[in-house]
Amino acid sequence: MNLLQIRKPSTSFALPFKHRTVGKRVLITNTEGNFLLLQPDEFRAFAEGSIGRESELYKRLAERNFVRGAENQERMVERIQARKSFLSYGPNLHIIVVTLRCNETCVYCHASRANMDAVHTDLTKELAEKTVDKILATTNPNVTIEFQGGEPLVNFGVVKHIIEYALEANKKVGKQLEFTMVSNLSLMDDEKLEYLVKNKVQICTSIDGPEHIHDKQRKLPQASAHQKATYWIKRINQEYERIGLDPTLYHVEALLTTTREALPQWKAIVDTYVSLGCKALFLRPVDPFGFADKTGHRIEYPRKEYMHFYTSAVEYMLELNKQGVQILERFAAIFLTKILGGEDPNFLDIRNPCGAGIGQIAYNYDGKVFTCDEGRMLHEMGDSTFLIGDVETTSYRDLMGHETVRALAIASNLEAQPDCVNCTYQPYCGVCPVHNHKSQGTIFGRMRESTLCAVHKGIQDFLFEKLGEGDPATLETFKKWTTVRDRTHFLQSCAV
Amino acid sequence: MPVTFDGIPGDLVEVELDRGAMSLQVDETLYPLEAVYAAAYVFIDRCYVFLDKPSEGRIRVTLSGKKAKLEGDLARETVGEFANELLSCAWRAQIARDSRATIESVTARALSGARGAPSLDELEAFDFSEEAFDDPLGIAMSWEEKYAKKKKEGAAPAEEPAKADGGAAK
Ligand code: SF4
Repeated sequence: MNLLQIRKPSTSFALPFKHRTVGKRVLITNTEGNFLLLQPDEFRAFAEGSIGRESELYKRLAERNFVRGAENQERMVERIQARKSFLSYGPNLHIIVVTLRCNETCVYCHASRANMDAVHTDLTKELAEKTVDKILATTNPNVTIEFQGGEPLVNFGVVKHIIEYALEANKKVGKQLEFTMVSNLSLMDDEKLEYLVKNKVQICTSIDGPEHIHDKQRKLPQASAHQKATYWIKRINQEYERIGLDPTLYHVEALLTTTREALPQWKAIVDTYVSLGCKALFLRPVDPFGFADKTGHRIEYPRKEYMHFYTSAVEYMLELNKQGVQILERFAAIFLTKILGGEDPNFLDIRNPCGAGIGQIAYNYDGKVFTCDEGRMLHEMGDSTFLIGDVETTSYRDLMGHETVRALAIASNLEAQPDCVNCTYQPYCGVCPVHNHKSQGTIFGRMRESTLCAVHKGIQDFLFEKLGEGDPATLETFKKWTTVRDRTHFLQSCAV
Repeated sequence: MPVTFDGIPGDLVEVELDRGAMSLQVDETLYPLEAVYAAAYVFIDRCYVFLDKPSEGRIRVTLSGKKAKLEGDLARETVGEFANELLSCAWRAQIARDSRATIESVTARALSGARGAPSLDELEAFDFSEEAFDDPLGIAMSWEEKYAKKKKEGAAPAEEPAKADGGAAK
């Protein structure tokens, strides 16, 4: 369907909308994020303004604020406010790199790792305290401190110190505090696990699929990285159950990095996650940060091939859900929450504007502060564009007022982006200026040539096609995927 | 010796293979200068970039490879990428003007939400002295103050604002 097929477009019937052909239907969306999937003849009537006020189509359109003169301005404002509620607060995600040292070597290493003897890349207790002081100065009432590396278990003493210092310091400011740790789990032991469970630290790991793929991509000297990780996933989940937590809500989260090798293995990857008791799978493509840049020719792939991998895996997950298996795809869940739920789940990489600085901050082992973890990784590769200060010398307000933070807030505003400004998916989408900077040399980027845009557009095309097909079981699963998982156990409130 | 590329207009792009550089001519009536600057800037990590004006209404952008000479596929790719970036920058400049109000309000809201109010310590450290508010045009002054001051100095009185903007007649 194309606008040229419209005989006499009406300029007075419709409120501003964007359209795109998805499968056999025409998708229309508006600024507040309402959508409708129309049959081609319905779309023609809509564009020509030839719809009777009594018709069912008119009601559908008017209800969603697509008809001029029938708009409900109050609802429009409420919807836009709900989608942008994150703008009122500062960063809630605070990533602390407690060391660059890592005992595994990964082909795509996101973390710009250092060898185990590079002890100078360990965060000290003194800098850790200054980092926590900076974190607790955020205007956001909710604070998540995420331990990253390298491998955070390598510098576990400082992880413990941060937790204890933050809990104590938080007594004065009363934030809703959460701790998470991203670990390959190979250095976990009973003592560390006991401490992490007792202190309510959420644990997240990487699983790249079945053992042969995982171990090829993530090398652990003299052992199988996959066996170590899966052993501890099961142990941690058992521990959660032992202390009375509901296993459907509380379990280890795992992340996948999709390399070329993984593309034909979509079924085996989903099966691996299900067998480990994971309820979510995040089918992330490789990104251009860390080692991935150097090894790109071996692990990269055209995004068309990725989309084939993605849709095959998600179709399979939908089938499993029909059979009663609970497993969701994270990208789909993020987009569906915005599409069906009308709210922004505040996933910082797919947000408008993105979370760089104003939603997340990354603190390096040496006290340097970055707009985000991707910016921190680029610094490790020799590009310090996204460095905004130092925990010792820069005040919190100066970090937030930094010109780079301002530039990124503007560059990731989809109203300022060619393509995005007219894109049907604008209400639900987000761009990453750091990705643009790395892959295209400009924080604004050219979306037509962006691999990130290709993925976002491809996934949303797929989701709207599925919505258009209207299969009740799929719709039911999609609805479930938009339900926010309860994590009350991990929240550590503190009355001031 | 100048050569041309398949699919790229020869009168716009000139490539000097022996110098490892190429020049692209931009029509000033199609592309604003700000877009030419923005697009040229994107290439400074890979190329040395020179701008000049060979004739009225034309801007010439010369790109010279920093590490590898620009030739063959690399040259075609670079010039093609430059043309795409130029279009992107020109359109972005237009969009930024059209959507200015939305972009500004979202950015202002995001930054003020993130920064929060200044603390008492920060307010105390703030420089409220006269110098910080150097106001040579008298913008921060009230009309009475400015008028009285100028009168005292013997300068001609400022024009009455109501008349200047064609406002209500008395
Ligand atoms: S990133 Fe791509 S899919 Fe997303 S709004 Fe922009 S153009 Fe559309």
